[in-house]
Amino acid sequence: MARSQADVVGTALVAGLACGAAAVGAPTAAMTVLGIALFIAPGYLLGQLLVGSRVAGLERAAVITGLALAVPALGGLLLYAAGVPLHRPGWLGLLAGLTLAGDLALFLRRRFGQVAPFTWQPSLHLPPWQVAAFAAAVLVAAGGVGLARTGVAIQPQSGFTQVWLSPQHQNERALSLGVGNDQGRTTSYRLVLLRNDRVSATWNLTLAAGRTWQRSVPLMNSAKVAARLYRLPDFTHPYRYVSIPAVTVAGP
Amino acid sequence: MTTADESIGERPAVTSRPGGPAAQSAAQFRLPVSVVAVLAAIGVLLAAAAYTSGRLGHATSSWPDRTYWLGQLLILTPVAAKLLSRHVLSAAETVTLVVALTVAEYLVKVCYSPAAYTYADELMHWRTATDIMQSGKLFTANDLLPISPDYPGLEEVTTGLTSVTGLSVFTSGLIVSGVAHLLFVCLLFVLFRRVSSSHRIAGVALFLYASESLFESFDSMFVYQTLAMSFFGLALLALCGAAAPQAAGSRTGWLTVAALAAFATVATHHVTSSMLVATLEVITLGALLTRNRRLAVLASMLALLSAAAFASWIAFVAPSTASYLRPVLDGTLQSFRALLTGGHSGAPPVLSAANGPLENQALAAAAVAIMSALVPVGWLQVWRRYGRDPWAVALAIGAVSWYVIVAIRLFGADGGELAGRASTFVFIPAAFIAALAVIRLTDNSLRRPIVRADVRRRAPVVVAAATTAALVLVLNGLVNGWPPFWERLPGPYQVAGAERSVGPEQIASADWALAVLGPGNRFATDEGDLPVLGSYGDQVTVGDDRVLYVSPTVMPAAAHLVQSQSIGYVLVDRQLSKMLPASGQYFPVDPDAGRYARPLPLADLTKFDRVPGVARIYDAGNIVVYDLQGSEYYGS
Repeated sequence: MARSQADVVGTALVAGLACGAAAVGAPTAAMTVLGIALFIAPGYLLGQLLVGSRVAGLERAAVITGLALAVPALGGLLLYAAGVPLHRPGWLGLLAGLTLAGDLALFLRRRFGQVAPFTWQPSLHLPPWQVAAFAAAVLVAAGGVGLARTGVAIQPQSGFTQVWLSPQHQNERALSLGVGNDQGRTTSYRLVLLRNDRVSATWNLTLAAGRTWQRSVPLMNSAKVAARLYRLPDFTHPYRYVSIPAVTVAGP
Repeated sequence: MTTADESIGERPAVTSRPGGPAAQSAAQFRLPVSVVAVLAAIGVLLAAAAYTSGRLGHATSSWPDRTYWLGQLLILTPVAAKLLSRHVLSAAETVTLVVALTVAEYLVKVCYSPAAYTYADELMHWRTATDIMQSGKLFTANDLLPISPDYPGLEEVTTGLTSVTGLSVFTSGLIVSGVAHLLFVCLLFVLFRRVSSSHRIAGVALFLYASESLFESFDSMFVYQTLAMSFFGLALLALCGAAAPQAAGSRTGWLTVAALAAFATVATHHVTSSMLVATLEVITLGALLTRNRRLAVLASMLALLSAAAFASWIAFVAPSTASYLRPVLDGTLQSFRALLTGGHSGAPPVLSAANGPLENQALAAAAVAIMSALVPVGWLQVWRRYGRDPWAVALAIGAVSWYVIVAIRLFGADGGELAGRASTFVFIPAAFIAALAVIRLTDNSLRRPIVRADVRRRAPVVVAAATTAALVLVLNGLVNGWPPFWERLPGPYQVAGAERSVGPEQIASADWALAVLGPGNRFATDEGDLPVLGSYGDQVTVGDDRVLYVSPTVMPAAAHLVQSQSIGYVLVDRQLSKMLPASGQYFPVDPDAGRYARPLPLADLTKFDRVPGVARIYDAGNIVVYDLQGSEYYGS
């Protein structure tokens, strides 16, 4: 077997490693490398089996990439038709199964001389300074994307606070009362709950940026419910306001 | 050195005589492709810097805009100059230039929204992909774009990659759409090279294809057409491989690849599927005209297979396709009718404000004029030199569509939109035929006796003229493509804009709706909030809801709308009373589009506070959500 079947061994190894890594819960970085390799493997093997080494260079790369994209597009339909959920086990099973089946087919066809053996002949020989220039281009472009991401992170945004008082979609006899702090910094609030315009409950809240506070409030028959949120130190003017008109609550 | 006699139709198109004047000239001045790649990367960096300046509040200043265009020129000019120069370029160098151009433009697109999807169409497909991730099932409902789950190819590939790698749907989507876009470009290059037997012509054709107005944006977005185009290209390349005379040993393999690619196209995008069938029919016609029996048989077989697969898909999987595409087909037919009857009464004037500033219009006119002039010259070259090549003849036939979309653009009611969307397909033959013309013209200009004695001195002038013309074409694609001129740079929130209408408050309110109200509630909302509420919030948004917002009291028409559309909630963005709509319209269906002189009155938006029975259930400052159920709108 040795070198003439190196690609068969390599792709089988990728399939095994990807499944093994997924089973032990490998980190995303490892799964990214193995997952992308596993994504390409069936396309590569299909390309070898269907058009073999009759094409080269860009054409070969394009056919392999196209088939690698077609495999999950069509394979997902087969998984769905078979009733297999399209989650990690299903995808791993599909891609690894196709890879191993392709490996077996390619191995056998090579043994019978129907497909040319694997060869690796890198044809591109660049002078070191050109390699360095291409590497610099990659780094500069990556820097551009990094700069754009930084721009999103530091973009000034006006802060806001959410308050809600809403029937819960899972429990019609209770209201969801909540406050979300998106001011970008820790903020103190006073939340006043009113029933028929009378104070029913008061909460003093201090929420860190991005945090929410939530309570379930019983919905009572024929009572108007409202909530006023004050942003401290202003106790006078409601900062946010929500209200539910008086409703008739259905019996249990 | 490319000589005029060698440049068209003969193979190889680009040859060099060692030691000749051309080789000496090439040796004297050559910008290596690696340096071109560095310049393109610097262009990406400058575009990113311009975007960052916009985000930091300088979106309306002139210098970030200039920085952006400087970045674009750094990407485009060296590539154009190299491809159009008369210096010898190897096939690998030409491929590198095409790849550098495509990758650089894709990265510029990524830099516009580098942290999350913000474009409405991408949000729609993100919703479908997220649904698949959560449910593990295909064909789950997507109220924002109901047809999307019926063509799940893109989402399958993306969720497959997400599941296997653990990356986010956004990151996987960027990888899939970027790879698919680059793959399509490479497939097109390979096809053009096979047809012309010249990587120079293929390279120039690809550069001209990049002038298509959606090349830098929609064609590489996370939308189903992006992936389908790569399958479309693979099917054509496989057909080309199967029909090649030397393909005897691998014909079955190529045909299998073609069939797989055709099936994948059908499972991914409806319009691309129909365009694949149409393209295969045109290739069949080209083969019949050139008496290439093998290609005619194979192309017609593949066309039949693709058509049968597409028809079966519509019949058994996606029956809503017909109703989804009908408005588009009706619009196209109306445009044709208008064309034949001398113009559409409702057609927008060519130089209307909605179509952009005058300089954009001038650039568009120049680009249309250049392409329209190039195509007949390219046809002449096909007639003279490729008359027996079925693929070239098919491309020549397909290039007729260029004039059709020009006419639709000028005379159709929504012609700009229709022509823009069609350009992805129309530019395939048009760019190739135009490239034949460009190569012919640049060579011919140097063959005139008066110039010939001074070829080496005049060559830069010819190359500069060709480069300028090509840049006009590509810059037109950028200027009049996406993002629109009024949102060229990212920046602060805009009312009823495009991607600048996707802000933290909009996302937070949509997230809240999904978390607290649950998915699938029927919402009235405005133009800017609709895609966010439909995608992040997974709510059913009602498009034609303007009547709800434009009066200070409850109008009978509004009550009728609420009842007939079963609208449960209305989302009010108070910023509609502070700014004019960036896109010209506040609502998805807005008869006053482009006619607003002042923002909507605040009283019209706050009236819900006073309507009996309406519950004010959410307040985030600018965005307030009202529950209309049990209110006066329902007669309670």
